[in-house]
Amino acid sequence: MAHSPCDIWTLPALVTGTGAPFVSFLCTMIFTRRRPRLSCGLSIGAVSISFAASLFLLVCHWGMEAPIHHVGRWLVSSDVNVPFGFLVDPLSLLMLAVVSAICLLVQIYSLGYMAEDPGFSRYYAFMSLFAWAMMSLAVSPNLLQLYIFWELVGLSSYLLIGFWYEKFSATQAGKKAFVMTRAGDVLFFMGVLLVLVHAGNLNIVEINGIRGAEGYSQTIAALSAILIFGGIVGKSAQFPLLTWLPDAMEGPTPVSALLHSATMVAAGVYLFARLFPFFSLSPAAMSLFLAIGTLSMLLASTMAMVSRDIKRVWAYSTISQLGFMIMGLAAGGYFAGVFHLTTHAAFKALLFLCSGVFIHHFGTNDIFKLGAEGSTRFKTPFLCLVTAAGALAGVPPLAGFFSKEAVMGALLEGSSPLWLVPALVGVFLTAYYAFRVIFVIGFPGRSAQTPTAQSRLFPSEEVHGIQAAHYRVMVGPLVVLAFVTLFLGFAQGSLESFLLGGEGRSQGHSGAVHGLVAALALSLAGAGAGMAWWEFGRKGATRKGLVERIPALYRLFSERWYLDHIYRFLMDRLVDRGISVLFLQNDNRVIDGTIDGLGKGTAEGGRLLALLQQAMIQYRLMAAFAVVALLTASLFF
Amino acid sequence: MRWMLLGPEVYTFLAALGFLGISLAGRPNSGRDHLAALCLSGVGVLLAASALSEDAILFSEVYRVDLFSQVFKLLLSVGLFLIVCICGEVREIREENRSDFFALIFFCTLAMMLLVSGNHLLTLYLSLELSSYSLYVLVSLRRARDMGVEAGIKFFLVGIFASALMLFGMAVLYAMTRTMNLNALNGALHGMMGQPLVLLGVVLTLSGFLFKLACFPFHLWVPDVYQGAANEVTAYLAAVSKLAGMAAILRFVASVGQGGADLVQVLLVFSVASMTLGNLAAITQQDLKRLLGYSTVAHAGYVLIGVLTLSASGYASVVFYALALLVMKFTAFLVVVKVAGNGTNLHINQLAGLHRRSPVLAMALMVSLFSLAGIPPTVGFTGKFLIFVAAMEKGHFALVLIAMANVLISLYYYLLVIKAAYLLEPEGETGPIAVSAPTKVLATALVGAMVLAGFYPYPFMEIAQAAVGVLP
Repeated sequence: MAHSPCDIWTLPALVTGTGAPFVSFLCTMIFTRRRPRLSCGLSIGAVSISFAASLFLLVCHWGMEAPIHHVGRWLVSSDVNVPFGFLVDPLSLLMLAVVSAICLLVQIYSLGYMAEDPGFSRYYAFMSLFAWAMMSLAVSPNLLQLYIFWELVGLSSYLLIGFWYEKFSATQAGKKAFVMTRAGDVLFFMGVLLVLVHAGNLNIVEINGIRGAEGYSQTIAALSAILIFGGIVGKSAQFPLLTWLPDAMEGPTPVSALLHSATMVAAGVYLFARLFPFFSLSPAAMSLFLAIGTLSMLLASTMAMVSRDIKRVWAYSTISQLGFMIMGLAAGGYFAGVFHLTTHAAFKALLFLCSGVFIHHFGTNDIFKLGAEGSTRFKTPFLCLVTAAGALAGVPPLAGFFSKEAVMGALLEGSSPLWLVPALVGVFLTAYYAFRVIFVIGFPGRSAQTPTAQSRLFPSEEVHGIQAAHYRVMVGPLVVLAFVTLFLGFAQGSLESFLLGGEGRSQGHSGAVHGLVAALALSLAGAGAGMAWWEFGRKGATRKGLVERIPALYRLFSERWYLDHIYRFLMDRLVDRGISVLFLQNDNRVIDGTIDGLGKGTAEGGRLLALLQQAMIQYRLMAAFAVVALLTASLFF
Repeated sequence: MRWMLLGPEVYTFLAALGFLGISLAGRPNSGRDHLAALCLSGVGVLLAASALSEDAILFSEVYRVDLFSQVFKLLLSVGLFLIVCICGEVREIREENRSDFFALIFFCTLAMMLLVSGNHLLTLYLSLELSSYSLYVLVSLRRARDMGVEAGIKFFLVGIFASALMLFGMAVLYAMTRTMNLNALNGALHGMMGQPLVLLGVVLTLSGFLFKLACFPFHLWVPDVYQGAANEVTAYLAAVSKLAGMAAILRFVASVGQGGADLVQVLLVFSVASMTLGNLAAITQQDLKRLLGYSTVAHAGYVLIGVLTLSASGYASVVFYALALLVMKFTAFLVVVKVAGNGTNLHINQLAGLHRRSPVLAMALMVSLFSLAGIPPTVGFTGKFLIFVAAMEKGHFALVLIAMANVLISLYYYLLVIKAAYLLEPEGETGPIAVSAPTKVLATALVGAMVLAGFYPYPFMEIAQAAVGVLP
């Protein structure tokens, strides 16, 4: 068999592509921390290499039939063999390309956003770590390796969320993100162990190849699927572990862009897609996932309706869109979920990066203030923001429209078309809150302008102002992403045949039903946008949302359905006052006492033995001789 | 005629002679000496690597060149090269003694190369003595004569004491079997291991190797000598000379030990005593070199666990651990040498604020100590893991438990050092430590090697398994 250049270069491309950011992370942390320019050059160079490599791989393997494995042995313990290596299949290639592209754009954007930050080098080091972890996660061939990088993704997002560690809220948010996702990860790891015990190995391809009949009982399959899904719930901020994501907005905005589009939260959905055939084994579990996805989507949408913080609105929308992807996947729409993941990565990154321009300039996150201070003066970012919001709301012909329709189609063909109802409600809510932001910023009503706004219309360049060079650097990635958002939708057909390995989609329902659903979704989105316009956009609008007029509902939504309060209450009552008191007593009395005793004894022993060394050499030699003599004497008896 | 058979030995001998010549010629020039040593030892590494596949029994079967010996010769050459790397300015050794210093470490390495190839009790004894004598002198060379000479004398006294016991043991073995060749002993001792006299001979013969390995009860020299010798010499003692001791004890025990249940008991006592004593005594130490000395004693105990399994997997784990020890110990001493810039001994408190004075050295110190303590994913963890697994396979459950407890104790004093380097604030103003770029690269490479070999030990494990495959 002749080897084409593609076959030969696949492995080197994988190694350099995924390894380059790690090298840059190490170099930055060790050598170039005091040289910000060199650090960002290294980091961007590395991620460019990754991007080039991923593009090369994508082009090379376009239309591949069988997944390619490159594995080496890592650990062998009796009959459990844990390899490490790379798995190349359409899904991992697509993810690799998305991750490297978004990382590259965000890092370029950060040149402007993070300029003159004292932690510039550290920022780029963590960004590299993040990129490395996420890309390696994408190409992991087995669950253990995936789990390792899964945790590394969690770690690097913790580092980046708490990047401004002088700020108390930032460290708190970082901690919250870490702890909440860890809660899910524990379940994930238990699921991995369950799979290992019952399937004998952790190879993703083999796990996906399991069929019900092969001695793998339905219950075990469902249980391990649900446990693994626990990790997805944590990582992708689904109900009930969704409250960390809005708090994670404490990090720099480019970090949020990265976190919300291609890395971290996307990791959860990616894992779902990765193990899709395995999850499909248990319909009961899939129904549960569908319900969780739906619930998260609706909850988060309602929260987004009332938030005045632009980043938080997008954060809630991320939760709701992730819920939407999970709905699509859980309904059996493998391609629909992955496609929505891809398009969402583009427009969500765009949303955050655009908002970042405004936030950076005006120094506030409040949409009303942003509107009042004239954010529309930044033409390009604002246009991009409109494009992205349109994509989020599902306006044709933007990318979001196509992927949402795909998910709708999946739901229609899924177990029960009834799930379409909440999905359609979600579409309406999404359009409403997306355009609420646009109208509030785009049409600042006169009433909303604060008296001081006039004087601050041209804020001094020194304080928050963006220097022209920085601005240009930040706008570049926006334009690229906007174009992607505009045109990615048209790649649906080719992406679908790539991901599904050439199989056409099976048409369960007639085109007419699909058309009906599409029309319904479109009109609902239009209604949502229209309502937003009525309340915020038109002249003389009250600029008060529907929900805000019902105080009880408003409180419920803005307090995030009191989820945090409930958690807090449970923590206080159950953990702080209940379990931990008992543990504390055990710790103080039993463990500390024992350990202290042991420690003191050990230290005393050490002192005594060190004293031996003080003796004269003759006595020491005598001691040594005595030992040997005693030992030999014991041999004779 | 295969010239490469004795290539590394002959080459090292010639290099040592060269330094003797320089020394005789007078006109000390330490820069020139260092450069020459660097080049010579670098070429030596390549030579040892290229001689890796040689295989022969020479000189009426007293000298054996096989994969086992060649792997250790390569490790010794690498160790020598690394040591030479940090010997740029050996402040604690007088200018006029520098070329003697290089000559002696080359001679010592030569002796250890002979030791790992020894296939006859007398070869083993002679090469052991040759290496020890070089070390006695090296230790005494310290500029602060009282310290160096006192340490040298103690070293010498314990050394000749161990030698005497070893010779006596050899005599007993010869009396019982009429042979001193290891291969012949292997056959002759078959079924005789139950006899007390044979056992006495074996145990007493071991004392020489235990002395080399710094194992209880012949560890008495270690703290004083580590403290008294110049930093570079201590580094050589700790990192390189232990390699030869491990190789020799492996070859000896593998040849004579089969079926010796009582021998296992004796080794078990030595092992437990060695690690417990080493770890406990290290806790109270304030001098970093002395602390590392006690940690060497403890590590000798871990090594003995692998030896006393009397199984191929145990031997392989010892070979792997030899590699691990070389890298870990050397890295720790690299930091000692560089931080104590003027060559004095290093107090633990002097490490305060190291992470700011030199981040690279602080990181190297941290990783090497974590590795010595056996924290994953470092090479020290993998090494200990392999040893413990081999011991468990042989059913030494209690022993592994004791060793684990010891690992725990050792973590305490390693962490004290790391705490000093990372958390304590220096008392007075201390400027940054000037670390040259090659040193930075070296430290980073060592850290990378420790983590990488801990993460992916397969290639090294395979080499170790192949190496012990030639042992009887």
